[in-house]
Amino acid sequence: MDLNILIGAEAGKGTARTSLMIGRVFTLYGYYVFNYRDYPSLIKGGHNFNVLRISDEKVNSHENEYDIIIALDKKTIERHKDNLKKDGIILTEKSLIEEQDVKKYSDIKYRIIYLDASDVMKKHSFQEIIVNNILAGSLFKFLGIPLEFALKAAEKEFGEKSDKIKIAITEGYNLIKEPKIKEPQKVNKIKRNKKYFISGNEAIGLGAIASGLDLYIAYPMTPASPLMHFLALQQKKHNIFVVQLEDEIACINAAIAGSYAGARTMVGTSGGGFALMTEAISLQGMNEIPLVVYLAQRPGPSTGVPTYTSQGDLKFALNAGHGEFLRIVVAPGDAKEAFEKTIEAFYLSEKYRAVSIILGDKHLGESTYSFDSFKLDSSKILEKIKPTNKKMDYKSYLITENGISPRALPGSNFIVRATSYEHDEYGITTEDPEIIKKMVNKRMKKIETIKKETKKMETFKVYGKGKNLIIGWGSTKGAIIDALKKLEDFSFLQIYYLSPFPNEIKKYIENAKNVFIIENNATSLLSQVIAENIGIKIENKILKYDGRPFTPNEIIKEIENW
Amino acid sequence: MKEWKEVKETYAEKTWCPGCPDFGILVAAKKALNELAKENKIELKNVVTVVGIGCHAKIYDYLDLNGYYSLHGRVIPALTGIKIANPELIPIGFAGDGDTFAEGMNHFVHACKRNSNINLFVHNNQVFGLTTGQITPTTEKGFIGPTTPFGSFEDPINPIKIALAARATFVARGYALNIEHLSFLMKEAILHKGFSFIDIIQPCVTYHNTRSFFEKKVYDLQSVQHNTKSFEEAMKRADEWNYSLDENAKIPIGIFYKTERSCFEDFLSQKPLWSIERRFNKKILEDF
Repeated sequence: MDLNILIGAEAGKGTARTSLMIGRVFTLYGYYVFNYRDYPSLIKGGHNFNVLRISDEKVNSHENEYDIIIALDKKTIERHKDNLKKDGIILTEKSLIEEQDVKKYSDIKYRIIYLDASDVMKKHSFQEIIVNNILAGSLFKFLGIPLEFALKAAEKEFGEKSDKIKIAITEGYNLIKEPKIKEPQKVNKIKRNKKYFISGNEAIGLGAIASGLDLYIAYPMTPASPLMHFLALQQKKHNIFVVQLEDEIACINAAIAGSYAGARTMVGTSGGGFALMTEAISLQGMNEIPLVVYLAQRPGPSTGVPTYTSQGDLKFALNAGHGEFLRIVVAPGDAKEAFEKTIEAFYLSEKYRAVSIILGDKHLGESTYSFDSFKLDSSKILEKIKPTNKKMDYKSYLITENGISPRALPGSNFIVRATSYEHDEYGITTEDPEIIKKMVNKRMKKIETIKKETKKMETFKVYGKGKNLIIGWGSTKGAIIDALKKLEDFSFLQIYYLSPFPNEIKKYIENAKNVFIIENNATSLLSQVIAENIGIKIENKILKYDGRPFTPNEIIKEIENW
Repeated sequence: MKEWKEVKETYAEKTWCPGCPDFGILVAAKKALNELAKENKIELKNVVTVVGIGCHAKIYDYLDLNGYYSLHGRVIPALTGIKIANPELIPIGFAGDGDTFAEGMNHFVHACKRNSNINLFVHNNQVFGLTTGQITPTTEKGFIGPTTPFGSFEDPINPIKIALAARATFVARGYALNIEHLSFLMKEAILHKGFSFIDIIQPCVTYHNTRSFFEKKVYDLQSVQHNTKSFEEAMKRADEWNYSLDENAKIPIGIFYKTERSCFEDFLSQKPLWSIERRFNKKILEDF
């Protein structure tokens, strides 16, 4: 089975929540699910939709051709009917569509099923919004999902508020007489192991918690805000603290100072907010206090398109902040990687006293992915340092062979300094040319040291053995991986670390027959970064910059028509 | 091993201009901290000085204490972050007038509102010194500097009134050359639970020498039995000087207003975040 289901309505009608609930039902039942979320920058009205892809094989992306459309308003039908597949079905409820439209739609080729939920609504005095769940219930029956799975998932998704929703699902279930899609026999073949169903933002949050996060400081900005909302709700459970300050400048300056005082800290933002943070990223370059930054990209320049996706900030992240210093930039491609790479980002930041930038985007952050397992290397979770009463001649910026000065916390029995000025080993300001040079060398040495370690880490990954090579980074991974199944003689090179850059990729590019770069931007920033690092110019670029993520079919078409 | 009973000075060479009132602030701060330490009211190892960028900030290099040299305008966020991360630390901010009221005004108003338990001592010499004499938000109208060769045409702001209006819980003004009095204010500020703001007025001997003006105009609020609990009286006293060099001005120094309300950190961790044990739990993802 491989189904694409679209659920659409005005903003504020709960499509996102319902879509995730449906996704959870299928995940619980053993399917793989991917959920794409599309919403404009408004609160009420407009048109929101989610696309759920459900399959018995791993899925990492959605398609723009639908098997089922759940229409909670007329606009959903109007907008998406042309993308309905040949045998596709539109599922809606009578009261949502006016009679003249019902007539209009009856002439056209596609099948519309109008459920009548009026009695059910009256019987339970339901509010209008609950129609979502009635239709979801019908969908479950339609696709042969046992009711108890649906109810269990609803409970998980909605918690204490799930009672009404469970009734609505049950009523919707009973509105359909028998399953309409003859797939349930296949259902038996799927593996009923535990599957995770997590959004990129949630995975980053959990990765941070796993890394010992103490403090998350941020200012609201789409599409990074969902991470802040998620962590805010986790505060009591994990004894972490989430603080909103007056602007991004305050957030990052407080975060670095908080890290100096011993908290494991993280900030998160998007383009404009990140621009405001760059002065303090440079401060980090000088004071060498560990910090993790989550940068969720959206289309720019400037305000751009706030609720859509882009990979336009790669070189901005790599060069954030004035001056020469180590910046770690890591780009996970899906939720599982978001969890794993966030842990690495904290680890490297702590160990090398550096800034780690987790480079995501709206598509990674707000899409929900399913996966079977995740890697957890506990050696990547470092103990926090504590103040000490040891008597010692501590130097905050001790010059060492590897460039890393051992950290200490204020509150110890000696003085601990952090400074934005060039400084001597004690952290006292200097303008002495010899000391300046020594300190620059110390910080540059860290770049050499970290490379020795990242060389041994998974800084890139190659999928498949085909002679032709696709190169990508970040959230395009899902569509590329799914396209790869249908492309003949192709392999995929995914780059995780943009800095320190894995120069080892050179041989894969040199050995490939044809090389394509796929990116969600207009100027192929990755090919510029590749050229800068390993001196290879890549000519074939498949670029998309309309704020929407790639789908596998788009990639296949582009490559086949090359 | 350093003795923590007393604040020492470092080996850094002092590069303030000869006669700079910043020396007065340095002496007052040392005196305040030494006395508080002697009275067992603070532990010097917990003191963290935070500075911005400007002449004032050199105090970071001179005081042999934990120090955080932040960015221009960002003393307050740094103080806030330190206090959230470890409520046992005593973050003391030294900042400039340009630092606080130009680049950092946003943070200043929010700090008053937020009432973090932090201290902000502003070296207010009404001019940018280190960048050679340009106007700041507290410079008087008509001031001639390299960016205003025909005289500045803006009236100065009144930071005391802004702090009061923004609900700061400790608002005071000190005079850098009245070291005894300033040191007393600093002690009161550090002991106050909440955001403590001292606007330390001072001449800049090179670019804004107001010494003879201040010597004539300054008077101590205690000498007029000012009621520090009255917001209205505080506002009235704050209105006595609008930061211009008006010959009829009276310049009150001392505590304008002092009150108590809950601190920002009351709602956050009561113990240092480094002390929270975090053992990784593999089940962290099981709910998803």
